[in-house]
Amino acid sequence: MEQFFQQLTNGLAVGGIYALIALGYTMVYGVLKLINFAHGDLFTFGAYLGLTLLTSMALHEHLGPFLGVLVLAVMTMGLVGVMGIILDRVAYRPLRESPRLSAVVSALGASIFLQNTVMLIYGARFQVYPRNILPNIVINLFGLPIPLMRILILLTSVVMMAALYFFIQKTKIGTAIRAAAIDQGAARLMGINVDQVIMIVFLVGPALGGAAGLMVGLYYGQINFTMGWVYGLKAFTAAILGGIGNIPGAMVGGILLGVIEALGAAYISIAWKDGIAFLVLILILIVRPTGLLGERVAEKI
Amino acid sequence: MKKVLFLSLILCFIGGTALAAGTVKIGLMGPMTGAWASEGQEMKQVLDLLADELNKEGGLLGKKVEILSEDDSGDPRQAALAAQRLSTRDIVAVIGTYGSSITEASQNIYDESEIIQVANGSTAIRLSEKGLKYFFRTCPRDDEQGKVAAQTVEKLGFKNVAILHDNTSYAKGLADEAKGLLKKKGINIVFYEALTPGERDFNAILTKLKAAKPDGVLFTGYYPEAGLLLRQAKDMGWNVPFIGGDATNHPDLVKIAGKDSAAGFYFLTAPLPKDLDTAEAKSFVAAYKKKYGSAPSSIYAVLAGDGFRVVVEAIKTTGSTDPNKVADYLHTKLKDFPGLTGKISFNEKGDRVGEVYRVYKVDAQGQFILQP
Repeated sequence: MEQFFQQLTNGLAVGGIYALIALGYTMVYGVLKLINFAHGDLFTFGAYLGLTLLTSMALHEHLGPFLGVLVLAVMTMGLVGVMGIILDRVAYRPLRESPRLSAVVSALGASIFLQNTVMLIYGARFQVYPRNILPNIVINLFGLPIPLMRILILLTSVVMMAALYFFIQKTKIGTAIRAAAIDQGAARLMGINVDQVIMIVFLVGPALGGAAGLMVGLYYGQINFTMGWVYGLKAFTAAILGGIGNIPGAMVGGILLGVIEALGAAYISIAWKDGIAFLVLILILIVRPTGLLGERVAEKI
Repeated sequence: MKKVLFLSLILCFIGGTALAAGTVKIGLMGPMTGAWASEGQEMKQVLDLLADELNKEGGLLGKKVEILSEDDSGDPRQAALAAQRLSTRDIVAVIGTYGSSITEASQNIYDESEIIQVANGSTAIRLSEKGLKYFFRTCPRDDEQGKVAAQTVEKLGFKNVAILHDNTSYAKGLADEAKGLLKKKGINIVFYEALTPGERDFNAILTKLKAAKPDGVLFTGYYPEAGLLLRQAKDMGWNVPFIGGDATNHPDLVKIAGKDSAAGFYFLTAPLPKDLDTAEAKSFVAAYKKKYGSAPSSIYAVLAGDGFRVVVEAIKTTGSTDPNKVADYLHTKLKDFPGLTGKISFNEKGDRVGEVYRVYKVDAQGQFILQP
């Protein structure tokens, strides 16, 4: 039983990261009906920019570990968010009126471009975050030793998701985003600046992805330029699982995927854990084609 | 048609001998660019140094030795092209290359052109099981490594061992080999599974591993995953000894794991250049330092140097650059040649005979220390 709960916390931590990345996919899809394949690479950029800022400014030494990392996270999110806006301007906006497939191809191209940019700037070798930026405390929860970092990852993801949810539901900009998601033409007629809404979506989604990149760097330590592929794929799966276009769905999907993987590895086979995760995805899509919390039927890309 | 072929053959032959009058050409095929570029560039440095030394002493058969190098980029497709280019340039032998699949792509091209190939880093078993007459390698094979892995486990006194690989052909082959040998020795395999390379979170695997209660874990994959495993095991507060294969021999291992987590990690590898103890090796490392400023960092580059030296020895002794004579000499007559990495002999398959692998342990400073 102890092993079960241990594996559950393992899965929750991984799932938290998937969820955070999945939010970026789901937001862009919700408004533009576009799968932003370059999202995984923005996540990679988050990890690398975080490392650069961390080593060049040593914020954690001046501000203490927690405040330092918080400031670092805000800076990383800001930078990756700006990159997201630039990505939209360069790769997606010129294709707004073109067939959907053109934008998807453009997204794939942007992904390759960004991945190679990271490689050319930082090199192909693994980069390593300095160890123990955050104190390595193990908390005893009902007799279960859980590293503090794992709790922080899950907590950060939940807090960010909740903040995003309230931003979308309760604020004026959020309402505009929802309106643009339902019908861009009608939103424009109601006086909503749809281009601005899309810009905000491309600021917020990548910013969350960048935060996830920073968390992966801080927690696992080792980053390289191809890391966005695996995480991007898993997060995309999570978004579909929860119902793409739906924000709580991305969260549920991410955490569910992490937990399925961990428990599949624990009780069936480690080598089959991806297979098990995808099998569950297929089963859920057969029963609920729109994902667990999905509302609209996902259109073909 | 036959006539044309015959004529062109004669032309080739005349052209070949005419060209050969100037120098003895030896090819080098290595990854000068790509992910393994550091290996390939060091291979070239080693061969250039050895060829210079040889030429200063009067060369080979009264002629100068010339190194012709081609880049295989660590990519099988590039390797096939490089092999085709090299095989038209009248070389006697080619040294290289590093990766097993890269060597495999070039093997038949050299064999058809009757060019001696001496690989320096390709450890996959099947490469020498094809009955290719002109293929040799100075690095050991993976089954040899499995043997040393099993011995090490036995020596450390583990009764229950967990084996973890990453499903690549190299890692799985080594894991299977070690598993079979350990079972014969009566050691329990309490865990045998694969992780997914490229992932970062191995907590689920480690939790499962820990529940199997092994005395030690044998991981046969590569250093990025090994580093993360060590780090996450340490974070879990689990202090089980890990043993790695030669793919974990990389300075970045310690960087990824952190010194405190990497300390105590055992791995098997051909000896590092700094630990080579023969007189030949010492003078070679000194000469290398003098020319390039630092000692060679990769053992595979030194093994390429050994490939060059055995080919030179064979040409010198047989007094001929005929590939059949050279191959025959290397197969049967070369015995205990004093190589840079120890004594060199080849068996009938072209594999190096004798034990090459050593056991290393990472100390508290993150240094790789040779174990007695």
